[in-house]
Formats: sequence, C-alpha cells, structure tokens
Amino acid sequence: MAGTVKLEKLGKPGVFINCTTFDDDAKSASADNGIPTLRRVKISSQEFYKLRGKVETVRPLVESVFDDIINALTKPLTPEEANPSQDMVEQEDQVEVSVTAESYPAAAEEFNRIFLENRWGDGLPLVPPTPERVKWMLSGTKRSPDEALGKINPKQGAATIEKIAINAVMAGAKPEYLPVIIAVIEALTDENFDDLHILASAGSFNLLTVVSGPIAEEIGMESGIGFMGHGWRPNNTIGRAIRLSTLNIGQTWPGKNDMALTGRISPHTFFTFCENADFSPWEPYHASRGFKADESCVTVGSVHGESQLNHFYGGMIGTWTAEGVLDRMVEDLVRTDRRGYFMWGTKGVGKYLGSGGGAMNHMIILFPELVVELEKMGFDQKGLQDEIYKRTAIPYDDLTPAERKSIQTAIELGVIPADRKAVFAEALKPGGKVPVLISPENLHFFVAGGAPGCAFSFNYYRIPPYNRTALMTKRITGATLTKAGSA
Amino acid sequence: MSENKVELKLLNPRGVIEAQPMSAPNPRIADLVGKRIGLYWNSKPGMDNFYKVFEELLKEKYPTATTTLLRGAFLIRDDDAETWLPQIDTFVYGVGD
Amino acid sequence: MSEKVKLEVLNPRGVVEAKQANAPAPRLTDLAGKRVGLYHNGKPGLDNFFTVFEELLKNKYPTVKTNLIRGSFEITDKDAEAWAPQIDTFVYGVGD
Repeated sequence: MAGTVKLEKLGKPGVFINCTTFDDDAKSASADNGIPTLRRVKISSQEFYKLRGKVETVRPLVESVFDDIINALTKPLTPEEANPSQDMVEQEDQVEVSVTAESYPAAAEEFNRIFLENRWGDGLPLVPPTPERVKWMLSGTKRSPDEALGKINPKQGAATIEKIAINAVMAGAKPEYLPVIIAVIEALTDENFDDLHILASAGSFNLLTVVSGPIAEEIGMESGIGFMGHGWRPNNTIGRAIRLSTLNIGQTWPGKNDMALTGRISPHTFFTFCENADFSPWEPYHASRGFKADESCVTVGSVHGESQLNHFYGGMIGTWTAEGVLDRMVEDLVRTDRRGYFMWGTKGVGKYLGSGGGAMNHMIILFPELVVELEKMGFDQKGLQDEIYKRTAIPYDDLTPAERKSIQTAIELGVIPADRKAVFAEALKPGGKVPVLISPENLHFFVAGGAPGCAFSFNYYRIPPYNRTALMTKRITGATLTKAGSA
Repeated sequence: MSENKVELKLLNPRGVIEAQPMSAPNPRIADLVGKRIGLYWNSKPGMDNFYKVFEELLKEKYPTATTTLLRGAFLIRDDDAETWLPQIDTFVYGVGD
Repeated sequence: MSEKVKLEVLNPRGVVEAKQANAPAPRLTDLAGKRVGLYHNGKPGLDNFFTVFEELLKNKYPTVKTNLIRGSFEITDKDAEAWAPQIDTFVYGVGD
C-alpha cells in the first residue's frame, strides 16, 4: 500500500490490487499513509492463492476483476474521494476511561470486557492501569513520563514513557522491570529498526528479547532450566509488556493490520529471556556489540516464526560432545542458508540491497556446559564465529552454475557489502570455498539454560524488508530501583 | 442494593497518532486509448501470471495501449519510482498480501 | 488514613489424595555372593555408566553377580515380575 501511495504522491493515478483477506489492512494502511480514498480492487484470497501458479488457471480471476481495474484507472473521482475527511484516521482522544460497578470484582471484569472489546488487550486478563498504579510503575525509572522514544508501526503511535508504563501495569510487571521494557521499545522505535515487518507481516514473525548484564539477576530473571517458559514473573511480564505496548501503541490487531496468518508461538510474551552469566565463561553478548561487559543491555531481534527454530541437541537428549554439537550446527547452517543463495543475486524486497532474503543473521542459544567445553577447545565468541564461518563455506566446485552466477551478481550489485567483496571474489574460483554467510558477525551467540541444556537457534534476514536492521542492542538506563541500569 | 459503588479510573494504553493531512488520489485519466499503463509487481508469487492475463485483456480492449512491467521491492524503491514514472500515464500495483 | 481493603481469594491448586508413606525394603547386610540387578531405563549413556560400575563392583565383591536389563522409562509389571526373583538388590537409572 505504501508503495502505491508513494506513486500517487508523485502525481501518478493508479490502483492497488489486494487480496480479500488483506482488505481491512489495505484500507487501514491507505489512511495511515495519507490517502484514505486511494482506489483498490479486491481479488478473492481463496482463488488467487490457489490459482496463481499458472496463467491458464488464474485467467478466470483476472477476467472477473478486469473491468473493475479499468474503472479504477479511468472513472473520475467522486466528490467523497476527491475530498477525503480529515477524520479518517482513528485517534485516541480519551486519556482516561472510567468503569463503575457494584464491587471490585465486577469492576475488574467490566474493565477487562471494555479493554478487550476495544482491542486494547491480548486476550488474557489484565491488571487495571489506574493512575495510581501507573505512578507506581513509573517509580522504576528516572525518565520523564512525557519523554517520547519514537513511533511504533503500523499506525505510528507515539511511544512515550508513560504509555509504556501503562502497558507494563496491564502486563503485571513490577517497576524494577520498567527500564528493561523501555530499552526494548527504544530498539523497536529506533529509526533504523524494522518493526513493521515483525508486527504486521503474514509470516507470523516473532520477537526475541535477550537481557544481558547484572540487571537480569537483580530483577530475578530465570536463566536456568525452563528459561524460555512460564513461571517467572520478570521473564513473562517483560515479554507481555512489550507485546501489549506494540499492540496498543502501534495499534495492531490480528486480521486487521497484524496479518500473522497463524499467529505467533508464545504470542503473549514473545521469546523473552536472559543470559546465564553465572555459568558462562564468556563475556556477555552485549560486550561483542561494543558495550562494556558490566553494563546491562537488551538485544532485540526479529526471528522467523514456527518454521525456523533449529535444534542442535546436547544435554540430556543424547550423549554429546562439543564437537558433535558444532558439527550439527554447521550441517544445519549449510543446509538452510545454501537454499538462500538464489536470492543473493537480486536486489531484494526492500529499500536496502539484499533485503528480505538471501543472507541471514543467526541467533544461537548455547547452554553453559557446551560453552565451557568450547572454551576448553580454545573458542571464545569471536573464535567460534570464525570457525563456523570457515566450516560452513561450500567448495566452489560443488556449487551449481546458477549458484555461482547468483553470488557473482551479488558482488556486482553490491548486495555483498564492499568490505566482504574481496572474500567472495577470491572464493568464487576453482578450489575456493564460498561462505553461506556474508560475515562471521552474522552469527550471534547467547548463553542460556541450565544443566543439562540444549543448543538451538533462530534466524532472520540479515537486512529486513522495510529498514536497515532487525537486530539491535540497547543499553538499559534510568533505573531507580536497581543498581544495574541506573546510569 | 449496595450504596457503595466501585469506580476504576484507567489510563488509555493506546499510542497517540500524529494527525497528518489527508490527500485525495490523483485525477483519473479519461480512458486508456494510446496510454502507457505501468504494471508494478511487488515480487509476491503469482502476480506475474495475473499480469500476463491482464495485459492480454487490456490489449484486446485497448489495442493502442502499451504496458510496462516493473518488478521491484514490496515498497517501490525511490530510484525505481523516479525512473519508471515518466514512462507511464497510470499504473496498477499488486499484490497486497 | 485510607481504609484497608481485604481480598479473600480461593486456592486454585488441585487437591491431592494423601497416600500412605511406606518405608523402603530392608537392606542387604553386604553384597558378597549376591545378585545385583542393574536396570537401564533407556536413557543414553547409562550403559557406559553401568559398564564401569560393574567393573568396580566386581573388584570389590568378586563373588557378586550382575544382571543388566534394559527396559522402558518405568519398568513394566511383566519385566518386574520376571526380574525380581533373579536379583537380591538393584540399581535403577537414570533419572533425567
């Protein structure tokens, strides 16, 4: 939709074709982008997805909408189309909502009913965000409630500290968690972060949030057995606060403008956990991103939905060695990332070269015992990145002609960045070995879990469809109730 | 009946959206005779097949119309838009999914 | 001073029927000449553990006999009935 609006704003009349499932989304997006009466022609989702594979099969569908498309291009605008109402984007004028009932339980039930009907909740019972409770929540940060961090897609709602606190109350969080939640929202609203794809795409993408540094222990996050599961108030309510903040501040709703077709696994909390600093011999993850090891940070990353969690075993699942787990990681990375070679030689699906396909970022969770063994083998994070990068490279002679051509095109187009061109140019010769990753830095290691543990990974596009990055680390600041994160 | 009602005052969790001025779409061209129609393919699978049929039907109805197919990003890139727009009189953009 | 609010809430936990607590069976006085059963519940690596255990056991008790069986996580009634008469004591592993 935004592309159609861009062309219209450049003075050209046109029409947007959208599938019926996405019609509410298209209508909403046309208003969000400033041309609410933009002309659209709907095509049946049921028919398009089934028939689009061949010209002969899609023909009846095209014939059925042909006249509609021509009319959209040529019939003069109606007075209503030519003079769109300035009220066509919903605004939230209410600062406060009041609920009155015979008793507290009745009032709490009524509050939940109203909030869910308004699409201000996530389907689970909420904690009422009374002014007193929000003030209590704000005691966890020294930052001003009016401070605006940025905007959240798709509706570009303003993320203020107060709005985040309101959603944190609703999630059942405590004030000492608020600086962590704020840091996550800082990442999502960063001008370079693509929050639109993860919040709105049909692909049911998910959000990974990893807390590292001393604040995790101070606020009682669990990093051992069950670290990604239920039961831990900080892990779960931080994740829920992020979910509610994006839902409410960005104003999304399933099937309306959050088009995740299956919904997300762990939908109420995303994937939220912390590194296990006690048992890891390595520096925390954020130290590899240029932060000081004794600082506290959050790392926020979009990840593929349910199809892309890769399991490398370890722990109790079978007898394991570090070398064996490493072999499985290498084998899996080669298998999944080689499939993407064909997209390297295209500009991609977004503004930045190589976006939305081709090379990936991998977020790999290693259990502490494994890291101890890797350390004995001589690997720190950087060493392991380099080792896996080397081992996953495919011999030039094993590549198909199409793969070689795609990589060559990627070099020429600039999809492979300038600082990596020489590596690939050198590899793309008989006897060479061609990496499946652009850089060793596309491997990100987080240490979490108990004993026994498991190693597994998520992945996502190195460059997302709608912005520069979907993986970012932010320092936690402004904390008043913990020593960590207070600076 | 109890005289003591409970009142809960609750803050709105929704983000405020900055109002932006709404614009109208561009005036339509009167008809497609002799016109240049741009077909923008946002790379979603199947739209190429859709456009092949559309082009055939278009040329049957408007033999003097010409078409230019452009395949690009989900959201058309600025450089693509700048190059393409002077070559067309109107466009179809698809597919929203 | 504001009035206190009292919330009376009900316990959400399921009631568990109390079971009678029994003592383990009396121990053997020593293992010389005894039949020691080794139960392997199928978890990887326990076979290696039991291999070493048997060596150490036979070093210490040369007249001991061992009887290794491998079965399901929880020994079936049939296996238990067949095995119990063949042993004087047992080691069951591994809980993970």
